Amino acid sequence: MRLRTVGAVAVVAVFLPPLLMLVAGSLREPGLPPPPGPRLVPDPLSTEGYTRAVDLGGLVRAGLNSAVVAAIAVPVSVLVASLAGFAMTQLPRRVTTAVTVASLAALAAPATALLVPRFALFRALGLTDTLAPLVAPALLATSPLYPLVFYLAFRALPADLYDACRLEDLSPLRTWWRVGMPLVRPVTAAVAALTFVLTWSNFLDPLVYVYDRELFTLPLALRSLSTLDPTNFPVFLAGAVLTTIPPLVVFALAQRHALRHLRLHEYRET
Amino acid sequence: MRKLTAILATVLLAAGCGGAETAATPQTIRLLVFGAPEELRAYRTLVDAYAKASSGAQVQLVEASDREDLITRLATSIAGGSPPDVFLMNYRFYGQFAAKNAVEPLDDRLAKSTVVKLADLYPQATEAFQWQGRQLCLPQNVSSLAVYYNQTLFQKFGVAEPKNGWTWNDLVTTATAMTRNASGAIVRGTESEGGGARVAVYGLGVEPTLIRIAPLVWSAGGQFVDDERKPTRLTFEASPAKDALRDFVALRLAYGVVPTDEEIEAENDEARFSNGRLAMLLSSRRVTTTFRTVTDFEWDVAPMPMYGKQQAGILHSDAYCVTSGSKAKDAAWRFLEYAIGAEGQRIVAATGRTVPSNVEVSRSPAFLDPAQPPRNAQVFLDAVPTIRRVPTISTWPEIEDATGGILENALYRGDKLDDVIRQLDEQTRPIFARGATP
Repeated sequence: MRLRTVGAVAVVAVFLPPLLMLVAGSLREPGLPPPPGPRLVPDPLSTEGYTRAVDLGGLVRAGLNSAVVAAIAVPVSVLVASLAGFAMTQLPRRVTTAVTVASLAALAAPATALLVPRFALFRALGLTDTLAPLVAPALLATSPLYPLVFYLAFRALPADLYDACRLEDLSPLRTWWRVGMPLVRPVTAAVAALTFVLTWSNFLDPLVYVYDRELFTLPLALRSLSTLDPTNFPVFLAGAVLTTIPPLVVFALAQRHALRHLRLHEYRET
Repeated sequence: MRKLTAILATVLLAAGCGGAETAATPQTIRLLVFGAPEELRAYRTLVDAYAKASSGAQVQLVEASDREDLITRLATSIAGGSPPDVFLMNYRFYGQFAAKNAVEPLDDRLAKSTVVKLADLYPQATEAFQWQGRQLCLPQNVSSLAVYYNQTLFQKFGVAEPKNGWTWNDLVTTATAMTRNASGAIVRGTESEGGGARVAVYGLGVEPTLIRIAPLVWSAGGQFVDDERKPTRLTFEASPAKDALRDFVALRLAYGVVPTDEEIEAENDEARFSNGRLAMLLSSRRVTTTFRTVTDFEWDVAPMPMYGKQQAGILHSDAYCVTSGSKAKDAAWRFLEYAIGAEGQRIVAATGRTVPSNVEVSRSPAFLDPAQPPRNAQVFLDAVPTIRRVPTISTWPEIEDATGGILENALYRGDKLDDVIRQLDEQTRPIFARGATP
């Protein structure tokens, strides 16, 4: 327990200062020369950066687009990943190994190498300049890593359980949904959180596939704010704060969900 | 399970709807530009005005934040077979697309046009976009370097303002006289005297880049490449290029009149000038839009000082290029006629961002409006005849990238000049070798 506290403090010590500086910087008054050193409480305090960021960067529209993409992509991605992971536990060993190796190979492929073929594909489907290419990776579980994570989670469940389900005449789909999924809830929460972050921070896909300013997602809007001159950095940082809040909320929710479930398990086992 | 099907159906439906929307009608063209949020507003105004003027022709503005983003978008969409119809690009960066035949030559359309003639535009800018004898793109602006200066600060310290015919020595003397500490006394910002710690106002802002040093070399009658038509290497080891480089780095190392690199990281030259803590700034027309928001002091522009025996400037010009993969070239050309023509040029000139490439507009109040700073905007027009340009080679952007760090170290860290010259040569030679020239 003490080790965990030390670990938590260490992680917070590394990650908290940049976040604090981000918030402090966003509350500086735009248009003033940047201070020579970091200052925790800016003088004068100003929220003008926020109003200008929302206006100049079109953050409302971009936030809405990002939210739509995440709201569709994250559940789809998690379902696909869990379904694929579960299927792997039901396959013969040799096939599972082949799929694992293929997934690892796919993980190693750099995203930029696939940019042009994917662009050609989406163009042929008439999907460029829509949000569809941003949601589409969810149909492949977003990253090859996530089905593997689910595979490991499902494989860790006792084999008797699956045998019992088979004896009960449960179809594989029902076994997955009724028996498997409730038992790997912490994994689901974690994968959902990671998928959300990956989708939320996706910059390259919207840059290449989306032309219309009305369809820009938050990373593109932020990128545009980052070109402001240094005196207007509070505006950019305010945009960054607003963009960072949703992932923080998602992480907090996922963590609560995962921890509560773990505790329940601990009680049951004792 | 029902939920899953429902979600999947939503996704597919959304995708299907999107597909129908993008079936492009030939009337709509896509225009790819980049710029800071304020600059992008100017293009939005232009596109809206065009839609009104042409009764219904639509231009979809595709906005990139900076040049790298624009090139990523452009390169991917060209390779993927669906490029934008028109894009805006600086002459120093369009070579890579020209070499791959991704840009449509405009000679035939120009010959037939009743709206635009090549002779309406400054030849210094149009020539920069000729590739193998063909006019590939049409320039929207023809800027060069000028010295922006804070008039209020000059008057406060009683220093003579820069004027026509001034020399490099005058620039150094003026910058030295304008580098002051908090109590207004002249100080040196050199390392031996404590670096920038004591300096409140710097005399001069200048970027350590090839395109800032080039005009000095030209002014002294020299070259910085071995062959301007078919360059194979940088030749800073020869005079007068070497002297120009030495005098350039002396601005920081010997005189301490330009800010240190730490100070520039914290506050770049444009911000420093806007904040009234930089007396002079060497820059192109681009910064005017930002400086027009300054209310605390008066500012104006002066011509580039003469480094050698002749006046020399460097071309800064962006042009509209039609992609050869465009499926709406006629519509794209009609937009070009508008954007390059008097009305389009007036709209963009009103933002302060450009020196119009259209000769007539550049001499009209749309550009020379005395009510808008800089009062001495004529400086930009006077400089046009002396403008030269960097060699046209497809790998030029990489050459600028490779030299950037070396020149920074030369100016700020004081690397030995011979090492700097050797590195400049060694690191760019393979890039020159890979490049295609017209």
